[in-house]
Amino acid sequence: MESFCTIALAFLLAPLYPGIILKVKALFAGKKGPPLLIKYYTLLKLLHKGSVYSTSTTFVFRLGPLVSCAGAMMILLFFPLGGISPIFSFHGDVIVLFYILGIGRFFTISAALDTASPFEGMGAAREAFFGTLAEASIFAILILFYRMTGALSFSDYFIGAKSISLDGTAGALLLLVIVSLFMVLLTENSRVPVDDPATHLELTMIHEVMILDHSGPDLALIELGSFYKLFFYSAFIFLIVCPFNAAWGLFNLPVFFVGISLVYVAIGLVESGMARFKMNLVPKFVLTSLILVSFAAILTMEFIK
Amino acid sequence: MINMNDIVLVIILLSVLLSLSSNRLMALVKYMAMQGVMVSLLPLLLEQHSRIGSGGLIFFQVMILIKGVLIPGLLYIALKRVVIKREIEPIIGYHASLFAGLIIILVSIFITERLQLSLPQGRELLLTTAITTMSAGFFLMMSRRKAITQVIGYLMLENGIYLVGTALTKHAHTIYIVEFGVLLDVLVGVMIMGIILNNINHTFDDIDTDHLNRLKD
Amino acid sequence: MNIFLLSLAIIIVGGTLPLVTCRNMAVAKGLYLGVTLLGCITGLTALFSTSANLLGATWSWSWLHSFSLAFACDALSFFFLMPIFLICPLAVIYSFAYFDKEENSLRTAVSFFCTNVLIVAMALVTVAANILSFALVWEIMSLSSYILVMYNYEKADTRKAGYLYFLFAQAGAMLIFAAFGVAFSHTGSLQFSEFAAIPAEAKLFVFFLAFLGFASKAGVFPLHVWLPHAHPAAPSHISAIMSGVMIKMGIYGILRVYFLLASSDLLIGQVVLVFGMVSGVLGVLYALGKHNLKKLLAYHSVENIGIILIGAGLGMIGVAKGDVAMAGFGFAGSLLHVFNHSVFKSLLFFGAGAVIKKTGTSHVDELGGLMKRMPITGRTFLIGSVSISGLPPFSGFVSEFLVYFSAFNGLKHNHATLLLIILAIISLTVIGGLASFCFTKVVGVVFLGEPRTDRAAQAGEVSRLLTLPMAILAALCLAIGVFPQSFIHLAFAGFTGLLQIGSVDAAMIDTVGTNLALGSRLFLLIFFTVLLFRKLLYRNKVIAKGPTWGCGFTRGTARMQYTGTSYARSVVSFFRPFAIVRESKVQLVKIFPGKTEFHSRVDDIAEVGMQHGLALPLLTLLGKFRWIQHGKVQLYIGYIILAISVILLVSFI
Repeated sequence: MESFCTIALAFLLAPLYPGIILKVKALFAGKKGPPLLIKYYTLLKLLHKGSVYSTSTTFVFRLGPLVSCAGAMMILLFFPLGGISPIFSFHGDVIVLFYILGIGRFFTISAALDTASPFEGMGAAREAFFGTLAEASIFAILILFYRMTGALSFSDYFIGAKSISLDGTAGALLLLVIVSLFMVLLTENSRVPVDDPATHLELTMIHEVMILDHSGPDLALIELGSFYKLFFYSAFIFLIVCPFNAAWGLFNLPVFFVGISLVYVAIGLVESGMARFKMNLVPKFVLTSLILVSFAAILTMEFIK
Repeated sequence: MINMNDIVLVIILLSVLLSLSSNRLMALVKYMAMQGVMVSLLPLLLEQHSRIGSGGLIFFQVMILIKGVLIPGLLYIALKRVVIKREIEPIIGYHASLFAGLIIILVSIFITERLQLSLPQGRELLLTTAITTMSAGFFLMMSRRKAITQVIGYLMLENGIYLVGTALTKHAHTIYIVEFGVLLDVLVGVMIMGIILNNINHTFDDIDTDHLNRLKD
Repeated sequence: MNIFLLSLAIIIVGGTLPLVTCRNMAVAKGLYLGVTLLGCITGLTALFSTSANLLGATWSWSWLHSFSLAFACDALSFFFLMPIFLICPLAVIYSFAYFDKEENSLRTAVSFFCTNVLIVAMALVTVAANILSFALVWEIMSLSSYILVMYNYEKADTRKAGYLYFLFAQAGAMLIFAAFGVAFSHTGSLQFSEFAAIPAEAKLFVFFLAFLGFASKAGVFPLHVWLPHAHPAAPSHISAIMSGVMIKMGIYGILRVYFLLASSDLLIGQVVLVFGMVSGVLGVLYALGKHNLKKLLAYHSVENIGIILIGAGLGMIGVAKGDVAMAGFGFAGSLLHVFNHSVFKSLLFFGAGAVIKKTGTSHVDELGGLMKRMPITGRTFLIGSVSISGLPPFSGFVSEFLVYFSAFNGLKHNHATLLLIILAIISLTVIGGLASFCFTKVVGVVFLGEPRTDRAAQAGEVSRLLTLPMAILAALCLAIGVFPQSFIHLAFAGFTGLLQIGSVDAAMIDTVGTNLALGSRLFLLIFFTVLLFRKLLYRNKVIAKGPTWGCGFTRGTARMQYTGTSYARSVVSFFRPFAIVRESKVQLVKIFPGKTEFHSRVDDIAEVGMQHGLALPLLTLLGKFRWIQHGKVQLYIGYIILAISVILLVSFI
């Protein structure tokens, strides 16, 4: 029961947090910033509208938002939010889930190519490239976690018998994971310094340019999917930094939902303090995250004999 | 209890890796400052060193001051003077450097296991980190063109040597005399480099070491 | 066994009929299709009916005591027979509509005949039980497929491709026979079952010789050079059979020799794993760089063979380490991927064939917008693409998951094994990512967007007989993804009794199967829920049509779309040391500029390396001996006498 409440709460609250990023950025720029609930207003606005479809598109274009949103929702069902056991969990679910995110990307990219627009093709190529590299980093993290816990599912990582924590065996290596996972978060969710969601020139965008032609409820689904994805990555990082004890029960929930906003604040700080990279420096950035985790995975040889 | 010295070691490794991939010299100097502080903090955290006299404390304070503040500060000033911001066209590219970092750490683990030193419990990672830092310093000197990056590589090498010393010492702090000597050498080296850089910059408008090739014969 | 042999006989008869009746093409084709289908269905019955009792059946025939043929069917043969009897009839149906030119009737009849000979030869390869019979059917397989590749022999490219294929097939066969020779010298018996008695150090030698030989058939990097040439040259259904089924015979050979030798040397697994990783990553990389649809698919075969070998290598390492779960899941993943690849790769080749048939071009950058014009081909191709990219809920993911599972199980080992397994997992991920990169390129550039040329704009859907096989295969792709349990069991059944270190716990296999089923079904459920939700949202909404947003540019044309070349450019140049990118361009320079041009080509280091490192030096060296060949018959007879006397002398001394 509490699993269902948690997941429902997560689905409801996920659009709240990106508002925090905007607020932090605005405060840093000395502005007042939009209201915290801005993303809800945007979603409502989009849901009330109709859509315009390009004559070039086919059903693949309509599939894009559906698949990416469904994938992002599915991954949350398997994640022990706030240390409360998830609805589903099995040995090996992490592999399935990251591949589910992969199919979301496949259809987002296909939808972008379906519009016959040169700009969207450009965005699609970049997304596919950086996404591939980021996926490698993710799997390197899974390798490290398997070495540390012998498990292949989110619930075993965080609330299992041998859950990971900074003070456990080889816990120090998690520092590398946190840094690298944060880099992956920035890449996968198209944040500064990899991509700038607020830029106004299509040529320099990655994710935003791919969804230029979506409108109305379709666009709302894409936005919702991206909120869930960001929420998932933030929760992932937050649970590594601050492990929860399942025994605390529902008390975990408020701590989790308040604490996770710290990750969003961190994203906001990074966005305020950094400029976006030149496009040809992005692969290096993602590669650094891969190498960091590989470092950690190799170092487990020292700890776990 | 979180194992503090592991965390410090991991931060050192992080700084090594980031400096391999960094193309901005200012960022490089910052990583070096972080590394310097961490390296000089490390002996304090090792269990054998839990009882430290006042002399030891002063020694470590001086150490942090030199490694974490003085040397990076000097480098910072030198950078400001010569107005160079980034390493352009390294001899070995950044992607390749990153992979080289991976290979370096593999080799370091291999060497650590091969040496079969009777290290105190929990020091294996220390020796691996030390060797990695040393070799990464060498690699940085080898693969970059700018004189200032080479100085940084040299610094990293010195940090590595210091770590090896830390890994191998078991008792008194008097043994650090050697490392302290090396450190002073480096300090002097950095100062001289700063002055030379400044002069080269005045004369040639460029500090690319490739131009030193012309001095041969 | 009897029904099985009967089915082979029917297939041979089906192949000969069109040769006899080739004057009337319609009759010949009809007879051929009917009889061959009958044969294949009989074959499938032989496989799955309990009365036929194919498993464990043996059959032998000897002549003059020296020439003996022996055949036996065990679990591994059984598994490899399935794709043969499943894919080939579909290819035969496809060929019925694909060969529609009347004037080529004799040539078509020969092609039909060779197709059936190839089917029979492949079926016999999987059941051959001694050296002689294996060598015989292996050669028949290579030769019949060579003739099939040469269908369009009047084109110079085809002849070159056929020559290259012949060279690699024969060189590979030579290595295989050499391996068998070494084995024979130790055991003195032609029977495969004696192989286990070879001393341990010779086992390694035998395995690596055979591995190289079979690798050149399977298309393992760097021996894959013939693949990207032969596939575009052959008719599409032949490509489907060759890529979907025939190159798997190379994998069969590797696994067969491995199980026969029963060696538990760690080195074998490590070498196979490394070859797998290299083929996988480089195969998909070159596929990204290629813009000929069939060449691209050929490189994907190299990639998938890589995944299969990664699975097999993990299995072998598992055996060497005594790790049952790792070994079992590795081999199961490898075998299931053999099956999956034969399904989706033939589907993709059928799709590519349909596209080429309707547009007359196979260059991806000349196509576009075919999803609207060829709806069934487009949709089935999309399903095939998602499957080959290894994405759930389709088939490719199931086998890749098993390989991952094996690899993660192996992470508890240390040292070199750990490193290799870390590398294996990372390369599997990179392969998966790049494969979906490549197939978004194919789907996006060929089927989506706007047509780039008139030929693509005028294309229409192909006939029912061509779309039917594609639809069946696409349904199979989804079925394996949604009901993975029985297929996983099938894969595990493929090596029952062959694993020396025991078998995997059946409950564990069940759990993995149900978990995967849960994953894919849950995804479909969520997907359909969101779909329903979307339907509700769009009730009573205004839906308008308009042009694509041109980002302020008002005169966009179809030629301005992102091409496959530009789509893949950044990632290919990221891997620059391994992919040789050659670009030539004419840019705008003067005030009145001329016509601009841009060409780019990605070269395969194996091909370039083999050309410069092996072929050219060899040619120069052998050119020096040209004087031996001078055309005088008398001197040739002299050579023969000289050779005989040298041999006699050598044998006397």
